[in-house]
Order: sequence, then C-alpha cells, then structure tokens
Amino acid sequence: MKYRKVNERVLKQLAAIVEPNDILSDRERILDYASDESSIEPHYPEVVVRTNTTEEVSKILRLANQELIPVTPRGGGTGLCGGAVPIYGGILISFEKMNQILELDAENLMITVEPGVFVLDLHTYVEEHDLLYPPDPGQKLGTIGGNISTNAGGMRGVKYGVTRDFVQGLEVVLPTSEIIDLGGKTVKNSTGYSLIDLIIGAEGTLGVITKAILRLVPLSKLSSTLYVPYKNLQDASSTVSKIIQNKIIPPAIEFVDQSSILVAERYLKRSMPRNDAPAYVLIRIEDKDETQINADIEAVGEICLENNALDVLVADTRGKQEEIWEGRSCIIDAAKAEGLVEVVDCVVPRASIPALIKGLNDIAKKYGVECQNFGHAGDGNVHTNILKKTMNDDEWNNKIPHLLLDIYTLSVSLHGTISGEHGIGLTRKQYFPMARDEKQIELMKEIKRVFDPNNILNPGKIFDLD
Amino acid sequence: MIIVVCIKQVPEIADVKIDPNTKPLIREGVPTILNPFDEFAIEEALRIKEKQGGEIIVVSMGPSQAKQAILKCLAMGADRAIHLTDSLFAGADTLATASTLSKTIRKFVPKFDIILCGKQAIDGDTGQVPLEISELLGIPRISGITKLEIEDRKVVAHREIDEGYEVLESKLPVLLTALKGLNEPRLPNIRGILSAKKKEIKIVTASDLDSNTNQFGLTGSPTQVVKIHTPEPRAGGIIIHEDDPKIAVNKLVQFLKKERIL
Ligand SMILES: Cc1cc2nc3c(=O)[nH]c(=O)nc-3n(C[C@H](O)[C@H](O)[C@H](O)COP(=O)(O)OP(=O)(O)OC[C@H]3O[C@@H](n4cnc5c(N)ncnc54)[C@H](O)[C@@H]3O)c2cc1C
Ligand SMILES: Cc1cc2nc3c(=O)[nH]c(=O)nc-3n(C[C@H](O)[C@H](O)[C@H](O)COP(=O)(O)OP(=O)(O)OC[C@H]3O[C@@H](n4cnc5c(N)ncnc54)[C@H](O)[C@@H]3O)c2cc1C
Repeated sequence: MKYRKVNERVLKQLAAIVEPNDILSDRERILDYASDESSIEPHYPEVVVRTNTTEEVSKILRLANQELIPVTPRGGGTGLCGGAVPIYGGILISFEKMNQILELDAENLMITVEPGVFVLDLHTYVEEHDLLYPPDPGQKLGTIGGNISTNAGGMRGVKYGVTRDFVQGLEVVLPTSEIIDLGGKTVKNSTGYSLIDLIIGAEGTLGVITKAILRLVPLSKLSSTLYVPYKNLQDASSTVSKIIQNKIIPPAIEFVDQSSILVAERYLKRSMPRNDAPAYVLIRIEDKDETQINADIEAVGEICLENNALDVLVADTRGKQEEIWEGRSCIIDAAKAEGLVEVVDCVVPRASIPALIKGLNDIAKKYGVECQNFGHAGDGNVHTNILKKTMNDDEWNNKIPHLLLDIYTLSVSLHGTISGEHGIGLTRKQYFPMARDEKQIELMKEIKRVFDPNNILNPGKIFDLD
Repeated sequence: MIIVVCIKQVPEIADVKIDPNTKPLIREGVPTILNPFDEFAIEEALRIKEKQGGEIIVVSMGPSQAKQAILKCLAMGADRAIHLTDSLFAGADTLATASTLSKTIRKFVPKFDIILCGKQAIDGDTGQVPLEISELLGIPRISGITKLEIEDRKVVAHREIDEGYEVLESKLPVLLTALKGLNEPRLPNIRGILSAKKKEIKIVTASDLDSNTNQFGLTGSPTQVVKIHTPEPRAGGIIIHEDDPKIAVNKLVQFLKKERIL
C-alpha cells in the first residue's frame, strides 16, 4: 500500500480546517490514540484531529483522499479487535468533541446524537426521561459511533436485539467527502438498498458517522435480578434455552463461570452474593407491573430449580442489582488488571452453548492456559478471557494463533461465527475467511472499492484489498 | 428467643426526585423497597434465630402496598407478620406510630425477648420511632449497633459514636436499632419467596387495638407539619493546595481572619 506522509503542507491545510489546538502531533499527546483495548502493540497516527463539525470531517476526507493519506476514525478506543488502531499512521479523527445529545424526540421516541457521546451518558440521559436505549455493552465508555461501527451487543440482546436494531438514521461522510443522510425517523422503509445497514458494523471502513438517530423504548421502572448458582456449566447453559422455550424473554440472561466471579470480586474488592459454585446465570426481569414481575420471578425461578440450580437468589433493590451487574460488566477489565488477556467473542446458536463451553475449556487445557468463560448466554454469545499469567512472551505469542484457530474452528463447526459483537478489525482478520466464504468476501471487497476507491478509510481492517 | 422486627416500606431514595421550585419530594411512580436499615435488622434476627432457635415476628404499619416489604422479610426467613393497616392510622407522627406499634407488640407478642428496628427510615429519617417504642414499653434500648453478641439472658452490643464505638450490655428484653455494618443482609431466594406466600400475615386495624380510635393516626399526633422545605444544598468546602505547608497555613489564617472566624 503506497500512502503519502502527513507533511508540513498537509498540516497547514489541516490547520485551515480546524482550530490549531485540535491538531495534536507531539508523541506524548498522541500516545493515547495509538492503541485500543485489544492486545496488539501501539501504532502511532502521524496526526490526531479533533473535529467539531460534519463539514470539518468532510474537508479532512477530501484532503486525505487527494493526498492519499490513510484516515482512521476513533471513538472511545475501547474496541477489542484493533479497529481504531491506525496501522498505516496517517490522520486519526477523534470524536471526543462531537459528544452532544442534539435532540430528544419524545413524540417519536427517538434521540439524535453526535458520534462521540458515551453510551453511559446516553443511558443516563434517556433514563432521566423515563426512556431506555436498550443496547447495553459492558464497556460504558465506548461511544455511539464506535458502537454502531462494531454493531455492539451487550446485556439486553435476548429481548431487544443489538445496536443495529436501534439505529434509525445516520449522517455519514464518505471517504470521497460527500455527506449523505441514511434512513430517518420513519419506522418503515422500502426504498432501495439499505445502505445504512452497510455502514452499521463496517468498523469505520465505508464511511465516517457524524450523527445518529436512535430508537428508544419506554423504561420499565420495576426490575429484579436473579443470581443463580449451578454445580456445573451444562445445567447453567441448558437453563437458558429452557427459559426461552417457556416463552419468557427476560431482557438479560448472562452466564458467568466461577473464575470470572472470583476475578470480579478481587477487582471490586467486595463479595458477590455467592462464589462457591462453578457456574452462575444472572437474569434481569423487568416490568411496569409489580404483580407481573413477581409472577415472572417465580416462573423463571422454578425453571432454574427444575434445571438443578443450587439456589435462586433474588435482588430487588436498585443498589443490590447494580452490584450484581457491575460484577458481570467488569470481568474483562478485572482480568486485564491482573495481566495480559486475549478476549475471545464466539457466538453459536443458543442451544450449542454447552458444547461450545466444553470445547473452549478443552482447548484451554490442551494449550495449558487458564480461561474465564462468561457472556451473553441468552444470545449464544460467549466471551472467553484467555489469561497469559506467568507464561513467557515467546511461548504466549507462539501459542495464541494456534489456540485461536482451534477455538474458531470449533465455533464455526457448531454453526457459529468468530465474533458476536466485538468485530474483526485487525486481530481477527487472518481468521475471517474461516467465517465467510470466498464469494461473500469478494462482494465485500467490491463494496469497499465502490465506497472508497483510493482505500484511504481505515485500511487494513476486516480484510486486505489485494 | 422471641424476636420482633419492626419494618417500614419506603420509596427507593435513589429515585426520589427533588423539585427545587415546588414540592420537596416527587414520589409518584417511584418504586418502593424495604427500608435498608430494616434489612440489617431482619438479617440480624435471622442470625440470632439460626444460633439460638426461636421465632421472628415482623410488625409493620403502612398501607396495603406495604405487604410487598413484609413478604420480603418472610421470604428471607421470618416466621410470621402483623400488618397494621387502617385508614385511621394514616397521618401518624412518630409518637402515634410508636404508640401504635408498642400497643400491638404488647397485645400480640407480649413475651418478646428482643425488638429489632432500623436506625432510621430513609424517608421520614427521624430515627425517633424505635426509641419511643422502648420508652412506651418500658424496656432498655441500644441504638445504632454495629455488632451484637448474645450470652444467656443478656446482649453485648457495639454502638457507633463519633470517636469510635461503645460496648454496651443490657439484659433482656431489649430494643436494638441496626446500622450499616452490623451484617451483610442475605438475598431472599425463590424457595423463600414461594414459602412466604403461605406464612401468616395478620391484619390488625385500629379497633383491634383500642376502642378509643382517635388516639391513632392524624388525630392522635401531637406534632403538626407546619411547613416543608428543601434545605439549601451545602456548598462544597474550600481546599487550599500548596506544596509548601507554610504558605498553606498562611493562606488558611488569612482566610479565617477575613471571615472573622479568628
Ligand atoms: C471491558 C470491556 C467490555 C466490553 N463489553 C462489550 C460488550 O458487552 N458488548 C460489545 O459489543 N462490546 C464490548 N466491548 C467492546 C467495545 O466497547 C465496543 O466494540 C465498542 O463498540 C467500541 O466503541 P468505541 O467508541 O470505543 O470504538 P473504538 O474502539 O474507538 O472504535 C471501534 C471501531 O469503530 C470505528 N469507529 C469509531 N467511531 C466511528 C465513527 N464515528 N464513524 C465511523 N467509524 C467509527 C473505529 O474505526 C473502529 O473500527 C467491551 C470492551 C471492553 C474493554
Ligand atoms: C413532624 C412530622 C409530621 C409528620 N406527619 C405525617 C403525616 O401527616 N402523614 C404521614 O403519613 N406521615 C407523617 N410523618 C411521617 C411519619 O411520622 C413517619 O414516617 C413515621 O412516624 C416513622 O418515622 P420515620 O420515618 O422517621 O422513622 P424512623 O423513626 O426513622 O424509623 C426507625 C425505625 O422505626 C421502625 N419504624 C418506623 N416506622 C414504622 C412503621 N410504620 N411500621 C413499623 N416500623 C416502623 C423501623 O424499624 C425503622 O427503621 C410525619 C413526620 C414528622 C417528623
């Protein structure tokens, strides 16, 4: 790939587009933009630009497209596959200043936001208005732009779906600098190809998202959380299918193994309701009506007991529930605080979870590494922290690619795929052909070429253009 | 050991919005919970019973919705409950509340050993009810305990004070109020929740306690709410940041002089 460098002339032209203090180029200040939360080593951008408006983004892309300079869009940098890491240097566009909530449309239950809004702030804001933005990824300091670009999932997937299901409209700047509006506030739309769906999940390779209209739902004020310990993983995972078979769809059903609970306890420096069982299922139940919520708790509780749950603990206060969900959300951070971690994101049909987890544990054993399994059991999405611990670097670097190959082979053989919600980015690029056939990948490459003829927008992610 | 636990259902405070212009508390649509301090009380009662055997009776005065909080206590493991509910109880101040509760205890659980309460209710927040109950029943009390041991017919408790804690001893029967730190309340489990539905919740009305019903509720309350206002939010303190402690002290002295404190 022949890209040009960001030279003095280009810097001058950038300075004509944005305020000088929104251009960062000294090494110390751009350090934070050189990596994300994946384990790949840092790659420095040549320059970081903090944009304030769509027009600025468009002008930067026009410049970059003329000058053949690679551009990497970056949200919170919490991605787990290197998507926002500028491997070819160039210009990195950071959305940290485009972080405003622009409009809450209570009549249409929609909200318009800039791409740099943190999920955390969006959740807090809409909940103050008794509304809910259901996508609920564990990392709350990811941005909406990043969430849309990775089609982030999270804890409410079982009932509500993923980020894609809540994106109504997007303002996108194309690599060739045109600004287009996709979708809108209409609920229905049969008007040609759905380009918006191409942008969602494209990991910033087809266009830059500068504004988003998101769908909201009414907030169910009442909720309870069940904390259910099991004596083995199989019983825990089969409960999940049983609950859904019984036509109860709780907003969240999460699976956590004992090692995950223990690492969360060490990280949070407090105890979870129980830590002595090998496996746990956490279930959130919500409703507007107290009688209904009580009925659901009992129905789900009984299904758990029928599937050999050791106990079914019920947290009803907000405080207790938050403690439990914080314990679940922090597992990746908690593991990282103790050492190097490779986070795996397999997804399989729900009924295959027991087979997947058993296989994952067997593979970990084969390579002599410890692992923690947890995740969005209701969606068949299992996260695995592979822990380096005291293994020496060479051994780790040698083993990981083989181990991942085994894991992905297993996931694909169970009719699953290699990433449920974190994305392909850089770290899964070499495994991508395992999950999609040649023709599909060729179509994707053609689409990329149509959107980005000079291949300047986030090049080298998902696949390489040959 | 016969243990009475007084509990109150309260709005979940995290949700209570304060309207700065008009009313102090907006309770509309706010979920209700068992008063958090009462959770410590019920947990402590369960631990005593697990060691010594006995019976736990939950007593609560409140509207019919308070049943939810009562059921939670029964699900955690209390044996039975008395629910004081009657429109005649409405509008009770702390004294009327305490007198109603103590009459109930005297009439329906005369042979109790321990009464456990929360230190305060997170809505009313007075912390007066338990102390008034102990006065009306003529028994000793230890308020704000963080540790409890029971030996034969006496209790030894740690009572939190500004400087640390006091160790107090009392004979039975005694009233104790629970503070955070006393224990880590268990979560009720589904078996408990199902069995709670089969446990006795005795409904008691004003006429069950006394034929002279004007001593209850609003008419039985000597205090009157004249005015409700939201206190000004406290302004944050001032921190003097200086590397050199001498300069910091100088600045502090100057500040105190300017404010005419020195
Ligand atoms: C502890 C932890 C827990 C996590 N839990 C979850 C979880 O439960 N579910 C889940 O799905 N993910 C989870 N993640 C992964 C991560 O939070 C998500 O992938 C998130 O969507 C990334 O958002 P971000 O703003 O940090 O994006 P970044 O990492 O900055 O970028 C991600 C990708 O989006 C592109 N991008 C960013 N902004 C834009 C834009 N405005 N326009 C075009 N492209 C853009 C980037 O180029 C990159 O390819 C977790 C991560 C961590 C560290
Ligand atoms: C001046 C004044 C006027 C008031 N006027 C009214 C009014 O007009 N209408 C009205 O509805 N309320 C009124 N209240 C509120 C009512 O008096 C109190 O909510 C009630 O007396 C309990 O007091 P508290 O909430 O401060 O509880 P605290 O004394 O702080 O509670 C401590 C403990 O006592 C026990 N306890 C308290 N209340 C009960 C209960 N009901 N049942 C069982 N155990 C209990 C619990 O163990 C609790 O943890 C008034 C309060 C005050 C101070």
